[in-house]
Amino acid sequence: MSIRNSLMAGALALSCVSGLAMAAHAQEEVTITIWSLDKPEQPAFNLAKEFDEKEPGIKVEYRLIQFDDVVSEAMRAYSTGQAPDIIAIDNPDHALFSSRGAFLDLTDRIAKSEVIKPANYFPGPLNSVTWDGKLFGVPKATNTIALYYNADMFKEKGLDPDKPPQTWAELLDAARKLTDPSKNVYGLAFSAKASEEGTFQFLPWAQMGGGSYQKINTDGAVKALETWKTIMDEKLASPDSLTRGQWDSTGTFNSGNAAMAISGPWELNRMSDEAKFDWRVALLPVPEAGAERSSAMGDFNWAIFSNSKHPDEAFKALEYFASQDDKMFEKYGQLPARSDITLPATGNEKKDAALKVFQEQLQYAKARGPHPEWPKISKAIQDAIQAALTGQMTPKDALDQAAETISAVTG
Amino acid sequence: MRKILSSLTDGRGFDIGLVAFPLGFLFLMSGLPLLYNVLMSFQEVDMFSLGTLFRPFVGLKNYVALFSQRETWPIFANTAIFVAASIAGQFLIGFGLALFFWTNFPGASWLRGLFLVSWVMPGLVVGAIWNWILSGDFGVLNFFLREAGLISQNIFWRSDPHYSLWAVIIANIWLGTSFNMILLSVGLSGIPKDLYEAAELDGANVWQRFWTITLPMMRSTIGAIVSLGLIFTLQQFDLFAAITAGGPNNSSNVAQYWAWDLSFKQYDFARGATISVIMIIFVMLASLVYVRSTRQEIRG
Repeated sequence: MSIRNSLMAGALALSCVSGLAMAAHAQEEVTITIWSLDKPEQPAFNLAKEFDEKEPGIKVEYRLIQFDDVVSEAMRAYSTGQAPDIIAIDNPDHALFSSRGAFLDLTDRIAKSEVIKPANYFPGPLNSVTWDGKLFGVPKATNTIALYYNADMFKEKGLDPDKPPQTWAELLDAARKLTDPSKNVYGLAFSAKASEEGTFQFLPWAQMGGGSYQKINTDGAVKALETWKTIMDEKLASPDSLTRGQWDSTGTFNSGNAAMAISGPWELNRMSDEAKFDWRVALLPVPEAGAERSSAMGDFNWAIFSNSKHPDEAFKALEYFASQDDKMFEKYGQLPARSDITLPATGNEKKDAALKVFQEQLQYAKARGPHPEWPKISKAIQDAIQAALTGQMTPKDALDQAAETISAVTG
Repeated sequence: MRKILSSLTDGRGFDIGLVAFPLGFLFLMSGLPLLYNVLMSFQEVDMFSLGTLFRPFVGLKNYVALFSQRETWPIFANTAIFVAASIAGQFLIGFGLALFFWTNFPGASWLRGLFLVSWVMPGLVVGAIWNWILSGDFGVLNFFLREAGLISQNIFWRSDPHYSLWAVIIANIWLGTSFNMILLSVGLSGIPKDLYEAAELDGANVWQRFWTITLPMMRSTIGAIVSLGLIFTLQQFDLFAAITAGGPNNSSNVAQYWAWDLSFKQYDFARGATISVIMIIFVMLASLVYVRSTRQEIRG
């Protein structure tokens, strides 16, 4: 045996011993790209970095895209073959891509996965990644809406702060008592804006009234819109609710100009800092006692593009992300889309109590759609809300018209 | 070969090159997208066929569908009101200010320069500021109107369908006035002073001088400003996005915002392109007026 041969044999033995890690090294490094709207202090940015460091054989390239550009950038990239491997996408847009085969069907991979188990997720988020019975993604985080209320104002007006409104009638009643024009206080703050936010806020009401986007003009949904109209007509909420988003609307609650507000857990940190009163959170009121609950569901999903050259590595990344879900709230203040994770106490009593309510509300959260033409459906709902609230149409007529538009879209 | 080369450095070839370069640039940067937009309005465009040029041809279907939508006519009417009111407001206030500063009191040129601030600010910033000013509950505008005794109840500028379009118009007038003022000031300073002296000697009063000298001498400037105003107001998008988002119930929606909403919110690119084509026709008419009015300027 020549020296050269023995050296070769030695090297071979060595690489066998050191096992898989060495083998991966010997292979060429794989690069996967991730697009998300998360900034450096938010989850996706950090998870991508952690995964890059953890996997020596995989290099991760992260690109930050703006909220408004996510869908159009993704579409353009996909149709020109430049799509990233992984993208974080808003949940109502997920079906758009799944239904056209742009996202990879992950059903089999998830079935085999040790980390991602569909049973662990809340039904709403899971439904948003599902199309045609198959899983086309993994929920990234989730959120929903509930009723914030100012307990101090409740006491002041003779309402019991431990008994927040449970039904729509009670909500109206409380709002009437709490509205105080002389002090610039409205009973309620919410958003009926002509954007996805308006749909996000109204749909739960319609769903509690037995409606859905396919049947937006049920009697219960009409009653929901009538209730909204009563709120606007009696000036229990600012007329500017029609053009104001949720963040700005809740701002008036924080500053003491609204006694109640309908918004999501994304407000918790700001409210903890700003609100100088005893604020609490209650479940979204239902049409009448004992009625079925419903809620909106927001936030993003992970998906892998079907033309990804490294689906295995990309899926491995998703598995790593899912494995970090238990730190989602602690590190980034976002709610994991999973029911099997108990959120750690923050030490802030009000925030912890509020989180419990949001966790409960999440059980009833329903994904918008899923439907590939969601934006058009959403627009029809927004138009109906605004036509009714501005008095241009009756709630019934407005929703009938929306139903007609939606059925034309869904075919 | 040598002949061609030498003509490039000196002679006819150079002239042709001088014209060809900007023409090529224009064609590449403006012409092609424009043609692509027109083409798209006759096609069935799907978000996943965005990258391809050859898509199913549907003839006038997009146009027919567009005009059968119930919001189409109200939105075009809004566009007309928005353009007419904005141009009128910008022009009248701008002309008034230009005439005011033309009197050349001490510090006039400095003050006039300060007016340009509004023109320098990005539309979205202007939109955000006016959003606060026009806010119904706490807006500054309502405060002033109330204090002045003009209104007894707050006007919800952004959310009342009777006012929402005017809310954007007010903001847009504010935004465009200084541009009008500067161009009109330039026009005014171009009028020979001796004309006025002669008129004054003949006993013409201020109004007569304005009607018989200022206005006729400013004709080409005014034509240019009005046609530029038409183009700028048809382009105005940021203010809608920031102040009303076209709401409530499309009462402040205009063609340009709608085209964007259809294309990038509802992903109906074909219909968005269709609206753009209709708008292109209007802008071309405006450009025609502009070109005609500036042509006279060069001759004079």
